[in-house]
Formats: sequence, structure tokens, C-alpha cells
Amino acid sequence: MATIFDLIASLVFSGALFLIILTANDTALETQATSHGDMLVQQMLINVAQMVEGEFRNMGFGVPENQKTVLLADTSSITFLTDMDRSGTSLDTVRYTLGPVSELSRTQNEQDRFLYRALNGGTKQNVGVVTLFTLRYFTRDGDTLAMPVPADRLTEIHVVEVTMEVQNSYAPYRPTWAVQTGQRNALYSSSLWQQTRLASQNSRR
Amino acid sequence: MSTGQTILTIASFLFLTTILTNFYTLVASTGDDIANGQDGILETTISTSYLELAQGMSFDEVTDSSDAAIANATLLTLPANLGPDCSAEDSIQNFNDFDDFNGLRVEKQPGGTNKRFMTRFAVHYVDPNNVTTISAARTFVKRLDLATWRSFPPASRGERLDTLHTSLVFGYFHFD
Repeated sequence: MATIFDLIASLVFSGALFLIILTANDTALETQATSHGDMLVQQMLINVAQMVEGEFRNMGFGVPENQKTVLLADTSSITFLTDMDRSGTSLDTVRYTLGPVSELSRTQNEQDRFLYRALNGGTKQNVGVVTLFTLRYFTRDGDTLAMPVPADRLTEIHVVEVTMEVQNSYAPYRPTWAVQTGQRNALYSSSLWQQTRLASQNSRR
Repeated sequence: MSTGQTILTIASFLFLTTILTNFYTLVASTGDDIANGQDGILETTISTSYLELAQGMSFDEVTDSSDAAIANATLLTLPANLGPDCSAEDSIQNFNDFDDFNGLRVEKQPGGTNKRFMTRFAVHYVDPNNVTTISAARTFVKRLDLATWRSFPPASRGERLDTLHTSLVFGYFHFD
């Protein structure tokens, strides 16, 4: 009788132990996946941001005072002038546009899309994968300009605000029972970047 | 099951509980570190945005209102008067020179997140030969110091919030 009791007690304890280990293992795997995703998107975001930041920083460089710096300004695309090679003789046209989500329909994330850059009207090249790339334009007085900015108001652009978000293209799916209305079905990591840049440097000195 | 075996079992479970507690603490802290990385990215972008705006300003109220070159530093704003020059300069949009930022505190909520970040500004004259030294006298070099930190949500229990410190040194120049 005592032996049977011992066996039952051992089974109960080993069962509890087994459950604890399984739960901990699940937690470790999920955390590892989300942490890896978080790190990845932060690295991806910084890569794209460095490119965008560098070029937007030089927006209007070498552009004469009487010439407009921003040629086209819309919610998710912008065309501006800058002297890329610092030649002082010719200006370059840089264009940033957001591609359609259909281009990356093969990925698990339904929101990711390419961010394109084109130089002097040449072939557009993708500079990264983002889920959000929005631009806002402000006048010197801080008023927001309506988009797309009309051609006759492009010279009023003083500050350009860039907002970017990067999410991972693939993420672990959530259990069906855990997905509530309005929630996404996978544990996508996200990283956000927002910066304002002057449309033209040295404008007040 | 003898008393010895029972004690051994209880001790094993206590040991296991300790390991599990440590494990979950480690998991939680890893998540916090990565979340702090995101805060750092936003703090950097917010600081850079302010620095960019400051770079677009005139060096001083005097140089904003006059095109004439200033050759004497004593014509510049007194160190004690660094800050907005009149009541109309009540926000960054209405600032016209670099030192208007002095004493300003701004809270900003970047779009796409519910987090808010506070930035504190300070402007000083600095020694042109050593820009890390604040000068009590007027010089042709000013430094803008920014401190940016997450103001909302407040730090949770055990969470450590970092403050990002950035500076911009700005010198006066004039094209004749």
C-alpha cells in the first residue's frame, strides 16, 4: 500500500515538474523570438534612418536663395534639391517614395513595403523595408501645410517631419484563441523613428 | 514516503522555484532592455530634431535684427538674459535666435506611440578654446545642452530610465 502511495505521489510531482518545464520552455522560446524580432527591427530601422537622415540633412544644400528646395511634397513622397557631390555647379534631384504593399505580399507581414530612392530621375532603388513612411510639412510659423503641397506654396516649407516605422516581415503566430478583434495574428515587433529637418540650412543666420 | 524523502522533495521544489523565479526575472529584464533601446531611438530623434531647429536660428537677438557684422562680443545678449527676448517668443515656432531655448522645457509625443518625452534646454556662452567650459563673459560661441527622457509612462517598479544628454556648439560667423 505504501509503495502504491509512493508511486502516485511521484507521478503527481513528476507531472507538475513536467508542466512547469514545458511552460518555462514555451516562455523562453516566445521571449527569444520577440526579443530577436525587436532587435532586428531596431537594426533595420537604424539602417534606413541613417540613409534618410543623412540626405534630408543636406536638403537644400547649394540651392540658391531664389530657388525652391522642395519640388514635390506629398504624404509619403518627396522630391528635393541638393548638391550631392558638392560641386557647386550642378544640383541633384533626390526623390523618396513609398512602394505599394503588394510588392511584398509574399511576406507574412501584410503592412511592409519598400522605401525607394531615385537620384536625378534615374531608376528607383529600394533603401529598406518599412511599414510607415509619412511626411508632414510646416511653415516658418509652425503651421501644417495641406498635402499634397500646392506648387505655389512649396517655398513656404521650412520644416519637414519624417516618421518611419519598421516591423519584422516574419513573426511567430499567436494562438488563435489569444487573438482578439482588431489584433494581429502574429507577434510583430515594431520600431518607430520621427525626426524634423529643415528644408534649407542657414536660412536665418 | 519517509520523512527524509518528503523533506528532500520539498527542498527540490524550493530549489526549482528559485531557478524559475530567476529565469522569469531574466526574461523580463531582457524585454525591458530592448524596450529601453526603442526609447533611446526616439529620444535621439527628438533631440536631433530640436538641434536641427536650433541650427536654423540666428546666433543672437542682435545678429537677427541686424545684417551688420558684430565684431565686439559685448554687444551680444548678457549671459543672465539668455532666453526668450520678449513675450511673443513663447514657443519654438516663435524663436528667432539660438539662446531663446534657454530654460525651455518641452514635452513631445511622437506620432504612432503613446509615450511622451520631456526635453530640458540650457544655453551658455562657452570658451572658444575649450567648448566644454562655460564662460561667464560673452563670447562668439554658444552651447545648447539638451536632456531628454521618457516622461510617460513613468518608470515601472525596478525599471531604470535613461536620460539622453546632447549638446550643440554654435559659433557666430558673418558673410561680408
